[in-house]
Amino acid sequence: MRLARTTALLAALALLAPAGSTSAAPAGQITWGVHISLAPTYFDPAETPGLITPFMVLYALHDAVAKPMPGQAFAPSLAESWTQSKDGLVWEFVLRKNVRFHNGEPVTAEDVKFSFERYRGTAAKLLHDKVAAVDAADPLRVRFKLKKPWPDFLTFYATPATGAAWVVPKKYVEKVGDEGFKKAPVGAGPYKFVAFKPGVELVLEAYEGYWRKAPEVKTLVLRVIPDEATRLAALKRGEVDIAYSITGPLAEELKRTAGLTLKPTYMPFTSWLVPVDQWDPKSPWHDKRVRQAANLAIDRDAINQASYLGLSRVTANIVPHQMEYFWQAPAPRFDAAQARKLLAEAGYPNGFDAGELSGDMIYGTAIGEPAANYLNAAGIRVRLRLMERAAYYAEYGEKKLRGVLYTGSAAFGNAATRLETYVVGGGRYVYGSSPDIDGLFAEQVNETNPRVRQQVLHRIQQMVHERAMAIPVMETAFLNGVGGRVDNHGLNVITGFAYSAPYEDLTIRKK
Amino acid sequence: MSVSTAAPSRAVGLPLASRLAAFRTEGFPTFPILILLVLVFTAVFAEFIAPHNPEVGSLSQRFKPPAWIAGGSSTYLLGTDHIGRDVLSRLIFGARVSMIVGFTAVIFAGVLGTALGILSGYFGGWVDQVIMRITDTWLALPALTFAIFLAAIVGPSEWNIVIILGAVYWTRYARVIRGEVLSIKERDFVRLAIVAGCSKMTIMRRHVLPNVLNSAIVLATLMLGVVIVTEAALSFLGVGVPPPKPAWGLMLADGKKGLMAGYWWLTVFPGVCIVLMVLSANLLGDWLRVKLDPQLRQL
Amino acid sequence: MKRFVLRRLGYAVLTLILLSLTIFLFVRVTGDPTVLLVEPGASRADIEALRQDLGLDRSLVVQYVGFVKDVIRGDFGRSFYYRTPVLELYLSRLPNSLLLAAAAMAFSLLIGIPSGIIAAVRVNGWWDSAGKIFALLGLSMPSFWVGLLLILFFSVYLGWLPSSGSGTVWHVLMPAFALGWYFAAAHMRLTRSSMLEVLGSEYVKLARLKGLPEALVISKHAFKNALIPVMTLAGINLVLMVNVAIVVETVFAWPGIGRLIYEGISFRDFPVVQATVLMNGSMVVIVSLMVDILYAVVDPRIRYER
Repeated sequence: MRLARTTALLAALALLAPAGSTSAAPAGQITWGVHISLAPTYFDPAETPGLITPFMVLYALHDAVAKPMPGQAFAPSLAESWTQSKDGLVWEFVLRKNVRFHNGEPVTAEDVKFSFERYRGTAAKLLHDKVAAVDAADPLRVRFKLKKPWPDFLTFYATPATGAAWVVPKKYVEKVGDEGFKKAPVGAGPYKFVAFKPGVELVLEAYEGYWRKAPEVKTLVLRVIPDEATRLAALKRGEVDIAYSITGPLAEELKRTAGLTLKPTYMPFTSWLVPVDQWDPKSPWHDKRVRQAANLAIDRDAINQASYLGLSRVTANIVPHQMEYFWQAPAPRFDAAQARKLLAEAGYPNGFDAGELSGDMIYGTAIGEPAANYLNAAGIRVRLRLMERAAYYAEYGEKKLRGVLYTGSAAFGNAATRLETYVVGGGRYVYGSSPDIDGLFAEQVNETNPRVRQQVLHRIQQMVHERAMAIPVMETAFLNGVGGRVDNHGLNVITGFAYSAPYEDLTIRKK
Repeated sequence: MSVSTAAPSRAVGLPLASRLAAFRTEGFPTFPILILLVLVFTAVFAEFIAPHNPEVGSLSQRFKPPAWIAGGSSTYLLGTDHIGRDVLSRLIFGARVSMIVGFTAVIFAGVLGTALGILSGYFGGWVDQVIMRITDTWLALPALTFAIFLAAIVGPSEWNIVIILGAVYWTRYARVIRGEVLSIKERDFVRLAIVAGCSKMTIMRRHVLPNVLNSAIVLATLMLGVVIVTEAALSFLGVGVPPPKPAWGLMLADGKKGLMAGYWWLTVFPGVCIVLMVLSANLLGDWLRVKLDPQLRQL
Repeated sequence: MKRFVLRRLGYAVLTLILLSLTIFLFVRVTGDPTVLLVEPGASRADIEALRQDLGLDRSLVVQYVGFVKDVIRGDFGRSFYYRTPVLELYLSRLPNSLLLAAAAMAFSLLIGIPSGIIAAVRVNGWWDSAGKIFALLGLSMPSFWVGLLLILFFSVYLGWLPSSGSGTVWHVLMPAFALGWYFAAAHMRLTRSSMLEVLGSEYVKLARLKGLPEALVISKHAFKNALIPVMTLAGINLVLMVNVAIVVETVFAWPGIGRLIYEGISFRDFPVVQATVLMNGSMVVIVSLMVDILYAVVDPRIRYER
């Protein structure tokens, strides 16, 4: 008790200490072992490619008008508040006072407007089509005028679905150009750019003038280590403090190792199988009972245990639970006997040849391979065909693949965006669709009443489930390792975010 | 990576003394031949030897250690893998997959390379030019890069790997065989055959081919190892023989994750199999090289 | 001689042109890079916009002509993934690759030359077999396995060496060994055969007849002459090492060109693959050209061959 009080007192003193005194200055370093290759495009929010990975860097270098933060899906950041007009056509954001970029220039409404307009990443066309104009009413006030009411405006503007809300300094960008900006990015985030070697290493340093608070850790290093086993070795030896993406037996080893902790994070990432042959009336998959049998034949818990130490969430819906308008399907069951019975009822007492089960090399191995093992055991005879990721998604998108396909998506958005891509007719990965679902989907596109919209979207998810159109497996956890030096690692603090954030909250243990 | 690729053409014909010395140097490779015979036997009779289905397992039986270690059982003599498949059975069937991939790839590359080498060397002129420029281009394209490419294009399957490896490595034969043909062409029996009015096809088949066969066989033995190791590297990079097929390279790449977690049997057994096979092939090749074709000794 | 050099030079240029065309077509057959640059759920409009941005909507001929024109001007294009000039990327990785190759070569010669000499001198002895097996073992063990075993032993178990990355001498050791070991057998074989050849020559016989001690004959007279072909091969292999380091660089997170190529292929980063393959290919072509010319200078007979 006494100790606690002393610590609190010391902390209070530290806060009171004048700026520049040694006790308050950021110190120490945290190093990450990163699984993917860092690219300079990650430094420029305008080029956000619709992948979550760049946000690993954006959260450090830049700040957004509003962004997901701990406990909040749309947290006021550079904006302290916003209002929506009654007709739903105007969104007005009020910016925080006295916020400055790393180069000392103030963050103004002009910068917000500029950043939105120069945004050319994923869904840029959609945003620019729906927004009629952006006005910088005064230096601290920005108005977005929409052409039509758009219920998903914040979902697209202020989440990792796009990077349009992330603000870059207009004057600086205009001075150095897009190329110059990627070489020496300047932002309003908690960390400043120091050095970068493409595909190798990124070094960042604390920006003490960050509006929310001055970061405690002085230096952040993001090191690219492509091989999973090597990442764990580096973590064990203390070369890195946090290692991203460690799975299967390596995760078991990580869990066993004294001083290291296994930390799962959860993105809006679901893995499922789709029997695309279901749209072919001659295929056994056309029979709903066969698809239900396949759903019953797979022991999702065992797969989860084997590949993700039981840390993923088994699911019966292709929409992940974090998404808006998510419908909670009944828990998936594993019942091999019932599966066989359904197959027999459908006319396949001895099973049938179900063709190929294709997937990409990474998740196809972690999920597809054991799933194929279960389907074969139930009499649904599939041959596994794993392809390189690029080739796989290309052929999938061109609808060249037959049989059963592994699918995984971590694309941001809400239930509507997920269904649009995978279920509704015309979607990029849709082989066939039902008119009633397509009709329902069209109904909600311009619906401004969230309650009505929710009803319709729930109904669609329920229909997908009842018709067993897919074989959802799990919401796949992203497993990471944390070393002993880190105190606050920032993993799994922001809902749906895979990496450490917010960076200004990270701390290391005092010796 | 055999280094024959760009090895400088050196003076042909060795001093008699060194040739004699070479004959004395290498003993008969009993051990390598024995190992290769055992592996071939295993590959041929896999169905009768393997105790389990190599491609099906049960997740509840995963990561069982070998029988002699605590926690192991006599059901799975060499333990089980990450899906609960029997490692021993996978090794036994893996011998078949690796042998098929290895031998057919080497033969494919050998037939293609030797044929082009003979054509190039015998005809000379523009035929030679075309074939040799293609060979040069192929050689400038790094083997592994090229293999990854092809894998990305044709997609993974056992047979595609054979095609890929063959397509990558035929140049080794073409270069060497062409050199051989150039010198054979000048020999008396070929000149006589030309004078006697034999057709070009006949000369190439009857007189040239038998004389380059030795070199081709030696090269093939040495290439076998290169091919098997490349196949493993492709599996590591995710473009090798696709699972659940049991191939040694794939088992090694798959088992790699278990190594740090203490599941050493997943890498050690397939690793040892690969090493034994490649080592044997190389020892045999070294011996054959000296026996059959001393001129090739710099390979 | 001049004609010979000119002809060789012509071949080299022809090879490079063929190489550029081959690689240009190959990357494009591997598939559409745009699907990789976006999350699988991306809309078609996004993908089309990206294709236009990357210039992939133009015809193949237009793309190739543009590519060649740029290359001649020394512009290798911009990486799709990194969005920076490829040449910059390549040059930032090249020193690492050369360092790794040089260190690997040192290991390789350190294993290959002694075992080769022993194999030639102490025929069928215990040392001969041991040296031969050790050198051949490097050829037989897939390098990712060697790499991982090294990491487990020296980094995790003993804690002596850093597991990955670059920067100090300690970082180079393990990847260099894993890479160099693979080439040791080739150097052993060549050392052995050239030693045997030299040992059988009149010139060494003469030295022996003069009554020089055997050790001196081997080390001074024979070895020096046998070394020439070995060093030539080492030169060629040094270039090859830059090319085949893909696996080792991946295991040890070594920031060299191998990883650049591999990522280039995985991401369908056409400009990166085109440039790296072309540059590395040029290295191979130039080194073989130099070797050919060198040998033609030494041995005039070669000039009339081929």
